[in-house]
Amino acid sequence: MCDSKELLVSFLYDEIDPVAKRNFQQHLATCVECRDELAELGATRAQIATWTPPDADLGFRIIREAESPKRRWFHWSPAWGFAAAAMLVVAASGAIANLHITYGSDGLTVRTGWNHAVDAQAGATNVDWKAKAQELDRRLVDLERAQSQQSVVRTASASDLSEQRVREIVGQSETRQQRMVSARLADMMREYDAQRRLDLVAIGQGMSRLQTSSGADLKQTRDLLQRYLVRTALEEKEEK
Amino acid sequence: MGGDLDSFNQLVLRWERPIYALAYRVIGREEDARDVAQETFLRAFRALKGFKGQAKFSSWLYRITLNLCRDWIRRERRTPLVQAPEGVDVIELAGEEAPSETVEELVSRHELGRAVAKAMSQLPEEQRTAIILKEYHGLTFQEIADLLDCPLSTVKTRLYQGLTVLRKQLREAGVESTFGK
Repeated sequence: MCDSKELLVSFLYDEIDPVAKRNFQQHLATCVECRDELAELGATRAQIATWTPPDADLGFRIIREAESPKRRWFHWSPAWGFAAAAMLVVAASGAIANLHITYGSDGLTVRTGWNHAVDAQAGATNVDWKAKAQELDRRLVDLERAQSQQSVVRTASASDLSEQRVREIVGQSETRQQRMVSARLADMMREYDAQRRLDLVAIGQGMSRLQTSSGADLKQTRDLLQRYLVRTALEEKEEK
Repeated sequence: MGGDLDSFNQLVLRWERPIYALAYRVIGREEDARDVAQETFLRAFRALKGFKGQAKFSSWLYRITLNLCRDWIRRERRTPLVQAPEGVDVIELAGEEAPSETVEELVSRHELGRAVAKAMSQLPEEQRTAIILKEYHGLTFQEIADLLDCPLSTVKTRLYQGLTVLRKQLREAGVESTFGK
């Protein structure tokens, strides 16, 4: 039974069935070793009960429920804008370039733009195409300009945001540091105050001891003086 | 929803001190213990719909707290720090808590508390947790076994080993076992 520490622990915490408890009690009556160990563990339990956590200002409250983010099947991002713009530019460039490829006796000839010769029949149509191309070109320039302005605005707001965030973080850090410093100062003050009070108590006790002993000394001195005076008076009387 | 919030806050009010005390005793740092306690309630609130009442509410909170403490210890990769309790004024305590207690007795009790805290911080995590749950929160062996996911016999062994080590360390620290007699 001495080897069964589980039984000992069960008995120590009184979480044991009645039969086992009775048996263990009988064992304890004869086993000094188990009795001592039980007593020591019980004393240790009493000691560890003195450890209390420091008082903390808690007061937790759930203020409101967090909103669940709505899932969207499509999310517009700047990447989509750039991709669309790029596709438009490629399509427009292709149209403007008017790619012309011929393969003859002089080999492969690739010509682009509006400088190559056109046949007479197509002349009238050529004017319309040119106007259209110029219109398209102008629209592209407008689009590019609008996009560059938009990106400037976006960059500015992003930098404002990041600056604001940095300020917040710095502010929070400073507040935290101030709080730590004041907590440390408060600790020091508390320790100093506790020490001062203990010193005062000790001084008070010392003073009262001193007063008690001084009173006894004084009484003894007074008695001696009294006796001396009486003796002196008697001697004077005898001399007379 | 507002009703849920109010009801939950009532539970927070009831359990915030035990949960903070558990976290403090496991990790040994006041500020971090507060953070752990706060996070415990936040997680519990978020997971409230999933709580089917299969365990006691307190056991559920204890489990969340212990998991967070374990994460903290793993993250910090260190044993709990023994921090001098803040805001303890032994002279004021003498008047408030035990008027018959002298300053000397109070100081020695305070010192004992610190010695216990130090000895506890040196215990292996599993022994420390078992002792904390048993001694300060009054859980049964079975409840501790459920919380720590270990057999009943393991809980008893951890308690026995932990108490034995504490007894030795307190004796080495010069703490007399006559305290409280």
